[in-house]
Amino acid sequence: MSRLKLGLELDGTSRGRQVRDIVVGLARRPAVRGALLVAPDGFVIASEVAPTVALEPLAALAATLGRDLEVGASRLNRGSFQTAMFSADDGTLLLATSCIGFVVALAEREANTPAIRAAVDEAVALIESAWAPPAPAAAST
Amino acid sequence: MSALRGLWRPAGARRARTPAELFSQANRLRREGRYAEAARSVAEGLAIDPASITGHLLAAYLHVAQRTGAPAKQEFQWVLARDPAHPRALLGLARLQLEEGDLDACRDALVRALRAYPDFPEARAVLDGLAARAPASPPAGLRLDRLRMPGPAGALFLVGHDGGLILARPASAAELGHRLARAVGLAAAALGRAGLGPLRRAVVEDAGERHFVRADATLTLALTLPRTTHLTQGLLEVNRLWAAAQHELAVAKDEAAAGTASPRRVS
Repeated sequence: MSRLKLGLELDGTSRGRQVRDIVVGLARRPAVRGALLVAPDGFVIASEVAPTVALEPLAALAATLGRDLEVGASRLNRGSFQTAMFSADDGTLLLATSCIGFVVALAEREANTPAIRAAVDEAVALIESAWAPPAPAAAST
Repeated sequence: MSALRGLWRPAGARRARTPAELFSQANRLRREGRYAEAARSVAEGLAIDPASITGHLLAAYLHVAQRTGAPAKQEFQWVLARDPAHPRALLGLARLQLEEGDLDACRDALVRALRAYPDFPEARAVLDGLAARAPASPPAGLRLDRLRMPGPAGALFLVGHDGGLILARPASAAELGHRLARAVGLAAAALGRAGLGPLRRAVVEDAGERHFVRADATLTLALTLPRTTHLTQGLLEVNRLWAAAQHELAVAKDEAAAGTASPRRVS
């Protein structure tokens, strides 16, 4: 199914399911520990993370960080914030912006980061297409 | 019989929904990322019950979700005017104040939220991410003028262990440095919450630039390069500067220990 078709055919409820599937799909990639989609207000729209991770504080931080990067980029006329990758001793956190919130992926230390980065970009593209407003009908002549 | 009669309503005579039902529907729509539809339900609910704190809080959340800060702030302030210790409204307001760059007001709101509700993990997490953001002074004798920026670099920043900016080059880019420093603090807190350990490297991309970061417990270095810079090249450049900064720090520390912080020639 093309992304455009996907976006046009989904009603609200199936969009909710679709977004959940996107997050689960990202979380089940090799060497990915978990993934979540957080609204800019910190509300968790969908998540698939280990029960050992406290979800709400992580979501609050991800949304605060995402908004700070977005607002900073726009206020300083540096275009729009797109993605960020933060590496630590035991893994990497990837954060990307989408129209409904921030996609977060938690990757293992030995993960193929470019591959996971590509998977995050794909998740964003799928969300954007599912949430895109329907294209206006062509004017009849 | 009367129960059956209840099922037989004339067509078109749909029961008006209560504010509670409308807000509940809005919350469900919000869970699905359907912000515009959720906002319509909230507006409908508030038209019936304009004094509903739940309604105004939901309205605030939906404005934030749609990235419209000013009306969101008004809604949070409306809630706080009626319930000054409302923890969720304080957290929401704090996050907006952070976006506006008002760190003191942001911290104050978070502290108030935690005072009212000490077991509030989201407020605690954000406050931890903003901990100790006071301006830092560089160690005595540190010669940062010896750090050479690569040709295409737009800016170079050094951030101290307390999160304060030690160096911004050019000086006109200091605001970007402060923002990157804050992002590094929030990211470090997020990594900690995710159980991934302390921040070591970062790459932040916006439409025009890539910001490469190296960090340890004592220092953070950020280098801004054009977006077209290859990742490997950017990492090599930031690693080179990182090694040079570490060297200068070690020299400054040795000189401070020996009490010989004499001026040196700039290379």
